[in-house]
Amino acid sequence: MTNGIGRAAGALLTYSFLGLMAFLSVFPFFWMVLGATNSSIDIIKGRVLPGAALATNVGTFFAQVNAPLVFWNSAKIAILSTVLTLTVSSLAGYGFEIFRSRHRERLYRAMLLTLMIPFAALMIPLFIMMGQAGLINTHIAVVLPTIGSAFVVFYFRQCTKAFPSELRDAAKVDGLKEWQIFLFIYVPVMRSTYAAAFIIVFMTAWNNYLWPLIVLQSNETKTITLVISSLASAYYPDYGVVMVGTVLATLPTLAVFFFMQRQFVQGMLGSVK
Amino acid sequence: MSELQLSDIRKSYGSLEVIKGVDLDIKSGEFVVFVGPSGCGKSTLLRMIAGLEEITSGDLTIDGERMNDVDPSKRGIAMVFQSYALYPHMTVRENMGFALRFAGVAKAEIERRVGEAAKILELDPLLDRKPKQLSGGQRQRVAIGRAIVRHPKIFLFDEPLSNLDAELRVHMRIEIARLHKTLATTIVYVTHDQVEAMTLADKIVVMRGGVVEQVGSPLELYDDPANLFVAGFIGSPKMNFLKGAIEPGDGEQLCVRLPDYADAKIPVQVAAAVPGTPVTVGIRPEHFNETGPAALDLTIDMLEHLGGETFAYARHGKGDLVVIETKKGRGLKSGDRIAARFDPACALVFDVNGRRLR
Repeated sequence: MTNGIGRAAGALLTYSFLGLMAFLSVFPFFWMVLGATNSSIDIIKGRVLPGAALATNVGTFFAQVNAPLVFWNSAKIAILSTVLTLTVSSLAGYGFEIFRSRHRERLYRAMLLTLMIPFAALMIPLFIMMGQAGLINTHIAVVLPTIGSAFVVFYFRQCTKAFPSELRDAAKVDGLKEWQIFLFIYVPVMRSTYAAAFIIVFMTAWNNYLWPLIVLQSNETKTITLVISSLASAYYPDYGVVMVGTVLATLPTLAVFFFMQRQFVQGMLGSVK
Repeated sequence: MSELQLSDIRKSYGSLEVIKGVDLDIKSGEFVVFVGPSGCGKSTLLRMIAGLEEITSGDLTIDGERMNDVDPSKRGIAMVFQSYALYPHMTVRENMGFALRFAGVAKAEIERRVGEAAKILELDPLLDRKPKQLSGGQRQRVAIGRAIVRHPKIFLFDEPLSNLDAELRVHMRIEIARLHKTLATTIVYVTHDQVEAMTLADKIVVMRGGVVEQVGSPLELYDDPANLFVAGFIGSPKMNFLKGAIEPGDGEQLCVRLPDYADAKIPVQVAAAVPGTPVTVGIRPEHFNETGPAALDLTIDMLEHLGGETFAYARHGKGDLVVIETKKGRGLKSGDRIAARFDPACALVFDVNGRRLR
């Protein structure tokens, strides 16, 4: 009997804690969506019920922001960044795991050490480099520093450990060169790993704020995160319009996640079965 | 069909030599099995033949042509792996035709060869399935099919049945034997299962520590092992080894005295052995009978009744266990004292270095 009460109390505590955590995770999204339907004043007052200002907010947002251009800029940067990062990092992860050399581990550890360097320390040298290359105010300047991601290389190397070496051997006996093994065997077999990495890198690139803020200076090149930030930092910010912007900015990442969530989960658990 | 020759083949990883000078001639159409304990180098040697491991020194020739530096796909070999190594994203048909597609073979010819192999291996209904939709045995058949379509000069099998359950293993063993008969191609097969080796091979290569211990037909190795290792490795249950010393016997004949078995004396046919020399006597479990002139006084420790025969595990005092195979073991029980008789002509004698004394 005492045991039963204890177990029930434990379950209550666990579910209360999980409920609180779920609330803390979901509430910002909930508030963002509700905020898009309310006027700025209602939002400031803390109204958490659906309002009637959605049409006005949307209208104001599209009047103030050249939405197609801004979303196109963000999409271009995010897609380019993701494709290049995945290409370079998967090649590097495959190489680090498959090819043996005396200095492999040293080189790998040196690469991982770059994770310790905060971006703030890299900003100025990167800005100077981009300036010297004449790339300031271009989307290439936003994409280039993101391509060599130590974290994504690390992720691909760890996942490559599960890639059966016998598949590579079989492909060699079948007459494939190393690049063909990578392209025709490794990439399709590891597609869940690519899907998981795609979501992570795409979200990071889409939400990137600080570096684009520094290198993108004209309105024609700005991304959605910069535009939302400028809306929020106006003298009298219209929070309803800001919320519309954030809702719209969230949609592409949500779409990518829902589209790839099965592969994402599989990729996180290990690609090869 | 092709001949394969290995001449003083060596493989080193840094300062560690794992294959220590292997010489081997494999004739056209022969079924050769490499056996040995884990880490003996049998798979490494197979991979060197396949071109998946570099050869540190020595010569590998196929049909007289040196193959050391030739690409795996150009050696005329096909390999079947332990884990099947089927491409998981391709159907059975695509898996089987993949190598041919890369070799630039015409589509119609690929279809013909895949169809032919599928027919031999009864894979027709499975051609459009992915590997994950197949059972272990079916996957193994696809792996063999993938090898067949290439029309290789030599098939290489790397422990192909290890991942299958006992029943399927027996079935696939028969399939492989049938395949060898049908295709009459040279096969090099690696296994640690001596039943596979004994039943499939024309020639067995026993390896230990990167060295070939003995090469011969299955029954040659069984009846006439060159050393203690081969004698112990071939045969299940393994040969009994009894420690003793050479002594003068009746007249010219020598005998071995076994101090752990109540000083039993076994007459042996060995030349040039000095009395007093320590030796090991090997007796196979099935060589014990009821009428042999030599006998060991033993007490049964444990019995394994297999229906048709019984394995009795017996010992003298605190000596080593001796395994006796008998057809008349149903009446025996643990604790029974028996006189385990055998014909001394069946006993093999080995010196302290494990070399056979003849």
